[in-house]
Amino acid sequence: MTPRESMKKAMDFQPVDAVPWAEEFGAVDTITKFLSEGLPAQEVVDVDWELEGYNLLNWPRFMGFDANSYFGCINLSGFMIPIDIGPIPRFRQRKTAEDSKYEEFIMQSGARARRFKKGARANVWYNMPQFYSFPVSDRTTWERYKERLNPEDPRRYPKDWDRDGYLEDIDQYQDGPVTLEIPGFYGFGAELMGIPNFNLAFYRDTDLVEDIVSHWEYLMIESTREAVETLKDRIDLVLWWEDMAERHGPNISPKLYKMFLLPHYKKVTEFFNKNKIHRIMMDSDGNTMPILDLVIEAGITGHLPLEVNAGMDVRTIRRQYGEKLFLTGNFDKREIAKGGEAMRREIDSKLPLMKQTGGYIAGLDHLVHVEFTLDKFKEYANYLKEKLIIQ
Amino acid sequence: MTDVLGDIAAAIGKLDSANNTKALLAIAIFQGVSATDIAERGIRRGLEIVGQKYEAGEYFLSELLYAGSLVSDLFEILKSVMKNQQLERKGVIVLGTVRGDIHDIGKNIFKLMAESAGFMVEDLGVDVDPERFVQESKRLRPDTLGLSCLLTTGLPEIEVVTEMLNQAKTRSDLKVLIGGNAVTKEFAQQVGADAAAFDAIQGVEFCRGAIRK
Repeated sequence: MTPRESMKKAMDFQPVDAVPWAEEFGAVDTITKFLSEGLPAQEVVDVDWELEGYNLLNWPRFMGFDANSYFGCINLSGFMIPIDIGPIPRFRQRKTAEDSKYEEFIMQSGARARRFKKGARANVWYNMPQFYSFPVSDRTTWERYKERLNPEDPRRYPKDWDRDGYLEDIDQYQDGPVTLEIPGFYGFGAELMGIPNFNLAFYRDTDLVEDIVSHWEYLMIESTREAVETLKDRIDLVLWWEDMAERHGPNISPKLYKMFLLPHYKKVTEFFNKNKIHRIMMDSDGNTMPILDLVIEAGITGHLPLEVNAGMDVRTIRRQYGEKLFLTGNFDKREIAKGGEAMRREIDSKLPLMKQTGGYIAGLDHLVHVEFTLDKFKEYANYLKEKLIIQ
Repeated sequence: MTDVLGDIAAAIGKLDSANNTKALLAIAIFQGVSATDIAERGIRRGLEIVGQKYEAGEYFLSELLYAGSLVSDLFEILKSVMKNQQLERKGVIVLGTVRGDIHDIGKNIFKLMAESAGFMVEDLGVDVDPERFVQESKRLRPDTLGLSCLLTTGLPEIEVVTEMLNQAKTRSDLKVLIGGNAVTKEFAQQVGADAAAFDAIQGVEFCRGAIRK
């Protein structure tokens, strides 16, 4: 069974040889730390040819890291359908100020933020920037920003977008799922307005929220239509980035979710379903339990990363929701990073039930964080891989 | 006379519109109710109802932020008509995000709720050096020092601050509250903090209990 087949079967609650394992190596600091601890660079540094613009020579470039293959886990994003759903044109990202410790930027989204300068402290990239202002604050700024969110803009697809070529590439790809990544409305709005202002708008400016969510629906459906209607169920998974909760619970109440999000979410998921795409997984940290009924009603069928620190427990969700949600993650990164007995206890307390009930992709409850040592991560990988096999 | 203070509290508690709550405040002022009574038995009582509903899982962050914004609006109006009356200060909180961490959303929400509850809050910002926490604790003699930390990589910084407070002998009459996604109650015990708050409401509740008599 290929990794792609294994992922699809797991998400569909069908039998697999071994529970698939996926991690997010998004924290660059972790990989650079692992490199300093002996991770062999030649095996994880990803180099590929890239065409130079001024002549016809290909030239090798560092493209990033592929730590998944090295450790034996699957890249959850797999083959990503290359649609640009962001603002077009982007704002020109540029530094606006700096001192000995910080740099201030205008980001590509139009937000203003500052971050530590490289060398100012360890773990520079693990630390998100501090946002000062966001591009949308009211009706006027939204109307202006909306011009950058035209789904019909031809630049949303690569210049060489070629249906037949993609069909062939996707059919050959077997290293992981073929994914379409979109932002959910909460994640989308929070990036436009910042969490406090966006949350307040649900009470202070409901017309604005209604207009943004209507445009979100239009943008999600129309910008992805060409790919979705061409590729249909060759798209194995829609990754629905949301990040809408904290430890206490969701950032917006179930009442607001039902009132503002649910009708539009149903239209977007119905569009995917109509095109035979049925696996839709919400990515949200925090405690999402109070809205899970609504999330399911919205047509979302999977959830990650199930943050233990926020009280999420894969066993509770499975008992409560059965096969209504396939689940990913939930190994407490703090316990796993300790290694030894703590790591084994965490895996052994959750994996047996998930192996028995299916519909599970094993993994940590968020990024592989910088407190992992390479040795501890290897210890976890080796132990887990043995346990994932289904007898 | 109708119970206008009860009406104000109820309006805030049920997240009524800004216009309606402002209208109720205008009635209370017109009736000659003292600013202290309006603040305590009207506005802050309303905020307590919101806090109870938040803890009960009926309200969430959006409701908390809206209630905080309503209360801020009402206090702005109240202050403008108070003339010689003073609102009682509940206590002093020095607050900041620890060194190496530049996250501030949770800290700012806590600040909004604490100020609305009547505390004077000295916000030192983000990425605050431990020495500064100690200096400001000596200078302002707060009832509570609030240390915010989102990332687990910032946790050792909390310990640095508590150790420096101990060394500076400023710890005995100062309560240390830690908050943010990375903190746990076990960690608070481990580093000698007085409490870990998982949300703004818990944090404000702790600060109420920490006020020096």
